[in-house]
Amino acid sequence: MNVHELPMVIFTVVSQMSVGTFITLGVIQLVLGRRHDRATLERIIAPVLYAIGPVLVFALVVSLLHLGDMLNSLNVVRHWESSWLSREILLGVSFAAFGFLFALMEWFGWGSYVLRQVVAGLTALLGIALLVAESMIYYTLVTVPAWNSWMVPFSFFATAALLGVLAVGAALMATTLIRARRAETAVAEPQQSVPDQSETSPSGGGLMVQVRSRIRQINAPTSATEWKIVSAMLSWFALIGALVAVAILIAYPLYLGSLAANGSTAAMQSLEVLTGPLLWVRLACAGVTALILGFFVYRKAETTKLHRSTTLVAMVLLSLAFAFAGEFIGRMLHYEAMFRIGI
Amino acid sequence: MSSEFTQAGAGYGFFFDQTLCTGCKACQIACVDKHDLPLGILWRRVVEYSGGGWRMVDNTATPNVFTYYTSVACNHCESPICMQVCPTTAMTQREDGTVFVDQSKCVGCRYCEWACPYGAPQFNAAVGRMSKCDLCYDYRSVGEQPACVDACPSRALEFGPIADLRAAHGTEAGIAPLPDPSVTQPHLVVKPHRDAQAWDRATGHIANPREI
Repeated sequence: MNVHELPMVIFTVVSQMSVGTFITLGVIQLVLGRRHDRATLERIIAPVLYAIGPVLVFALVVSLLHLGDMLNSLNVVRHWESSWLSREILLGVSFAAFGFLFALMEWFGWGSYVLRQVVAGLTALLGIALLVAESMIYYTLVTVPAWNSWMVPFSFFATAALLGVLAVGAALMATTLIRARRAETAVAEPQQSVPDQSETSPSGGGLMVQVRSRIRQINAPTSATEWKIVSAMLSWFALIGALVAVAILIAYPLYLGSLAANGSTAAMQSLEVLTGPLLWVRLACAGVTALILGFFVYRKAETTKLHRSTTLVAMVLLSLAFAFAGEFIGRMLHYEAMFRIGI
Repeated sequence: MSSEFTQAGAGYGFFFDQTLCTGCKACQIACVDKHDLPLGILWRRVVEYSGGGWRMVDNTATPNVFTYYTSVACNHCESPICMQVCPTTAMTQREDGTVFVDQSKCVGCRYCEWACPYGAPQFNAAVGRMSKCDLCYDYRSVGEQPACVDACPSRALEFGPIADLRAAHGTEAGIAPLPDPSVTQPHLVVKPHRDAQAWDRATGHIANPREI
């Protein structure tokens, strides 16, 4: 295994997962915003939203490890008018910055609802632009046949979609379970009741009071309505996730076929690396993900009761684990397949 | 500093005579010596390309094989892909058309290494930045030829403004294992070996991958 590219594997997979997660939350907001009140939606979306930031920052920091001389790292944005790598960094940082701004606005209730939605929309657009830039870094290299292929943008967007919906699904399941458990243990303590809405007003109390009240709101036990919304969403995520995983399974043979048809020495070398044992592990991961999602999560999500949800939660987490492993190994293969034309 | 070998707009490049090269690697060693390159970095490499099969005449099979050498450094391309992809603008073109790495800017991301089909930019792990042939800018500045050119015992290497080289030796640059010259438009002219294979025929393989 090429350890040198590990930072790139982690950065691309995790940043794509972050974009996918953010956009999934956006779609939830758009779809469910019409049917449910804001407070209910916010309680569902907020904990997942706040988890994206640290994950994305982690990915950006890891990407620095790819650089040989970090002292010069600020130079990487200088050639934005020509280099997709510069654009990737600019878009990655902008996506993170706008996401952070949006999270702050949500947390403290800054700005109007419309303004916050505009910021969220911009963040999502930056996220999509980031995926495009990440793809173009490899896709535009005409000197590497394995990368100069539709497979690169396809697989990057597929990673974002698959890990995005599953990360949201898993995070929703986890928060639901944690909230339900907390409620069980808190029965003996009458203090932990429904949060006081008046404390959320930005004008009332100091910063810490606001933060504490927000946390109490977030941690309040899952209601039956919330579970209904979450489990209905989960079956959608399972369906989308399973379809994306199947698309990945279909894409690989087509991609390998196109490489074989390319005929150049570099393409043949890439093909040899790509068709090694790791490919089967990678495909098996996508296959297992599709099976768990399609045959278990999709069918059980809406019929599972909140107090008997442990298996469902475990299955969602398991499918995320398999999906992540699959995308991670797939990305390792992507870098292993780097063979240039010429010498 | 300007000399007859650092003229602005000259677009310097190399001429390589494949028919004269014996694969002795004097050019490679001269380069390593001149630039004091660390182990593993070879700005100029001599590639051995081999292939072949059997020629059938009636019932007689005769071996029909070839091998030839190509000495390659940076070709200071007309459209340098290394410069296009470099995120830092460290990959810089001088007024005379030669391309070098500005060490004060390079971040060592190795994107140019992925991009260049001649393997010219190479990572120097000791400093964490890229390195490459600058066509011996210091030598040229004082009117001397690049070290590799002067070192070749069979006089297979020449350097000069690419227009002059093309006028004297033609325009061939697409000999395997070199890539399709239309990708970067190298400032390189090759006088082909008698067995030279076109870049797109995939009839042979690089026989000395560990030496380059």
